[in-house]
Amino acid sequence: MIGKETAAGRAVRIVFLVLWLAFTVFPLYWILITSLKAPGDIFSFPLAYWPEHFSLENYRELFNKADFGTYLTNSLIVATVAGAVATAISMLSAYVLARFEFRTKSALLTAALVTQMIPAFIALGPLYLLMTDLKLVDNRLGLILVYIAVCIPFCTVMLRGFFENIPDALEEAAMIDGLSRFSALFRVLLPVMRPGIVAAFIFNFVNCWNELFLSVTLMNSDANKTVPTALNGFISSFNIDWGSMSAAAVFTILPTMVLFAFASRHIVQGLTSGAVKG
Amino acid sequence: MPATSATTTGPKTSRPVRKQAAPRARNGPRGGRKREFTTRRGLLIAAFMAPAAIFVAVFTYYPMIAGSQMAFRHWDLNDLTDTSWVGLDNFHRVFSDPNWGTVLGNTGTWVIGSIVPQLVIGFALALWLRRRFRFRGVYQALIFFPWAISGFLIGILFRWMFNSEFGVVNDLLQKAGLIDEPVAWLADPHKAMIAVLIANTWYGVTFFAIMILAALQSVPDELYEAAALDGAGKARTLFQITIPYIRVTLVLTVLLRVIWIFNFPDLIFGMTGGGPNNETHIVTTWMIKITQQGDYGKASALGLLVIAGLLLFTVFFLLATREKREVRS
Amino acid sequence: MRRRTAALALGTAAAMVLTGCSAMSSNANGTVTLNMVESLTNPARTDLLKGLIADFEKQNPKIKVNLISPPTEQADQKIQQMLQSGSGVDALEVRDITVGPWSNNGWLYDMGKDLKGWQGWNAMTENAVKASEDAKGRTFFVPYGFYGLSLFYRKDLIKDAGFSKPPASWDQLLKQASAINDPAKRRYGYAFRGGANANSNVTAIIEAYVADKVDLTNGYKLKNGRTIFSAPEALDALKTYLTLFKKASPKSSVSWGYPEMVEAFSNGSTAFLLQDPEVIATVSESKSISKEQWDTAPLVAGPSGKTVQPLATAGWGIAKGSKHKAETVKLIEFLSQGKASTDFTKKNSLVPILKSATEDPFYKTGPWSSYVTMTKHPDTYLNVSQPRGVTWWSEWEQKSDADVQKMVIGKMSPKELLTSWDAYWSKKWEQEK
Repeated sequence: MIGKETAAGRAVRIVFLVLWLAFTVFPLYWILITSLKAPGDIFSFPLAYWPEHFSLENYRELFNKADFGTYLTNSLIVATVAGAVATAISMLSAYVLARFEFRTKSALLTAALVTQMIPAFIALGPLYLLMTDLKLVDNRLGLILVYIAVCIPFCTVMLRGFFENIPDALEEAAMIDGLSRFSALFRVLLPVMRPGIVAAFIFNFVNCWNELFLSVTLMNSDANKTVPTALNGFISSFNIDWGSMSAAAVFTILPTMVLFAFASRHIVQGLTSGAVKG
Repeated sequence: MPATSATTTGPKTSRPVRKQAAPRARNGPRGGRKREFTTRRGLLIAAFMAPAAIFVAVFTYYPMIAGSQMAFRHWDLNDLTDTSWVGLDNFHRVFSDPNWGTVLGNTGTWVIGSIVPQLVIGFALALWLRRRFRFRGVYQALIFFPWAISGFLIGILFRWMFNSEFGVVNDLLQKAGLIDEPVAWLADPHKAMIAVLIANTWYGVTFFAIMILAALQSVPDELYEAAALDGAGKARTLFQITIPYIRVTLVLTVLLRVIWIFNFPDLIFGMTGGGPNNETHIVTTWMIKITQQGDYGKASALGLLVIAGLLLFTVFFLLATREKREVRS
Repeated sequence: MRRRTAALALGTAAAMVLTGCSAMSSNANGTVTLNMVESLTNPARTDLLKGLIADFEKQNPKIKVNLISPPTEQADQKIQQMLQSGSGVDALEVRDITVGPWSNNGWLYDMGKDLKGWQGWNAMTENAVKASEDAKGRTFFVPYGFYGLSLFYRKDLIKDAGFSKPPASWDQLLKQASAINDPAKRRYGYAFRGGANANSNVTAIIEAYVADKVDLTNGYKLKNGRTIFSAPEALDALKTYLTLFKKASPKSSVSWGYPEMVEAFSNGSTAFLLQDPEVIATVSESKSISKEQWDTAPLVAGPSGKTVQPLATAGWGIAKGSKHKAETVKLIEFLSQGKASTDFTKKNSLVPILKSATEDPFYKTGPWSSYVTMTKHPDTYLNVSQPRGVTWWSEWEQKSDADVQKMVIGKMSPKELLTSWDAYWSKKWEQEK
């Protein structure tokens, strides 16, 4: 379907793909290897590409030094709830933006685009004061609410693409059958949209999981910190302990890696159905 | 219904119209199935839009606007006894700062130096991944993965690899015989910039690859078959069929990425912190530094400049790409 | 299908409720919860503080203390943010460099009255009592200890290089460090500070070189009233310092701040480190170098054989917005006297605030002995006040750090740097008059 490939073309393709794979995977391999070296060996020279002795010392250190389990739990809760709620809310707005024409539509879409241009640091101070007034500083709910707001604009635009690719006829038929628009949305569109929804949720989850500056600003006590905040703490106080740092990095990457391994097909599939056609 | 949503999506200002399927709307005359305005529809739009609008208004726009006013006041956490209005003084202070020129230049290097390799490699990957091969799923999962890592962590990861004493990059280069002695990557402004660009390429290719691959899969096979019948070569097919067909995706992805890369201090923050000698600062990392110094007035002025700059860019970019589209069709 | 929607909404709401509702500040049975924020955070110190807090809570069952430990580099910014919001902080760590601006902004509570007649004052050293009062006699913090510089060195490495004892002067340091430095083996002489707070070590060497002429009440001033940067010796100092970077330090140290310097010494790659006593605790935990391999020596001297000890301090203060001032005073009193204070200064390796410490055998042995040496010889290790409380201090740090980096990467000559610094301080003092 894409045309026949010449032998030379095939060779170029394979070489390129292999090189890129090596380039992509190597940093991950290196951080894993670093984390598995005994703390003293990390700074031995020449560098060992395969450690002579494997050691879990860095991981032990990590959980001794800091309550890493708590950070992981916090991140998991915040990213899951915020990601799910943002996806749900964005479906509603995306649906309206895909199916109706109305005067304020382009203004709303512009407003969504502009949110992407706002540097977080202009809003951090006032946001902290706002959250203080709402008694939501140093509180997971507070961070969730803010993350939902952060996720909504891009998520809406993304889901709008999916809705536009689904023929109107589908829900019209359902509405003729006597369903309300809301039920039509859920009964008919939801199943069709599943890959898109999964993709949208993963985007939201990953964004929330990785967010640093808002979390550093809004979370104070150890019990409420998320993983990036904790990582940031490792690097800037005490000494840069590359051993436990690498162990922490591995733990940070793991959940999203599992998610990606499980859903990478959904992401492309989801995006394909939502791709803007030209 | 709260005021915020009423003003943006209320029934009075909205005129719901049944939307045409996108391709038809572009070709044929509009409004073939235009429906009359009904309150019910207006309410539905308002109700569906309200949650999103409220969240974004309260937690994004309100703090942004509240922060913007500091740009016009003397607002320094080291001395809050005087927070009077100072007009454009903070903007003057930004422009007259000796770092401003460097920061601006770096931001340009950062955005262009990131977007070009990301787009080119991402496009190539997408083209090559279109073809089925064994383990394609696994391959995809592996190379898409950098996208799931936080920018800050990537900064730290690459900071460790580019460490001049114990970093693996120097070791590999030495083993390959490309350098004689360790290079102090992050201690030299130019080399540090190259290092952060490599890190950002590692991270950002994925997004292009995913988006372009998704778009490519929407190109109908008939188009390729027709091109093949016409005897079009590979290059011609690419430039005359594939690229025009996915142009909108390309334009929007590039636009979004430019905005995101511009507003992406995390990686540089983790990797060099803007150093050495403030020479790897981009606008947004510099803004972090100024905020940390407590000078909220100047930082907010910088923030407004970022928004204004990106808005201008967006308008120009969309205008430029729109014209081309008309010429082609 | 309506059911599914409802379930989704319900689930979301439940999750939100579960994650929320954890920030209650005081509850029905009269227990008060204090929020305490530290600034110079490190994990070992945080654990130490938690232990002390636990003791305090045992003695005061109606008071709970919630310790907040932001990462050092952003801590002061974070504290500022909390103070500005007017709530969420009771006790906090106040530093000599932050007390000026924070009290000026009306964020700190003057606890002078509350601590009048407090017995703790009698047990404190003169320096500590002096540091607790600002120029107007207000008490915004009670110091918990002092930070001063000493030279961390590797016994084995200097011996291998053929030296019998650690350097006593900057010149000797340069010589030894250059001899040890061997980049091909990933072995370096000196953990140079080129990044955050680079200015502190530069002024340390300049002060050492002008030690004979320095004004004891202001470490940046000469007895003749001009700045220390105007002295001809200052140029010698900078040249030595720059050579130390070029000949004996890893190149990447251009951007090193506190964490990188300490790391370079604790991972065994670097032979010398100029740091606060606080680092003793960190280095002791190193897995790469053993206790036999390293020690500390007194701060290195200038050509005159004298040097200036740039003492810095920090302590505990109370936020003006606190609703539990009486309880917070109790906490600060607890931390500033007796066993709690001794434990804190010992385990965090600080110069103590209590008089009793001079008798303590703990300070006479091991890495600590160099501090005792320094206190015993105040004529060699001059005790000079540093102008760290000035309102322009943070501006100065930004400027001077940038200049040091410029000099190190060759974009500014030592002479230009000194001219600029001389002009800066002369102008500030002129404006002050």
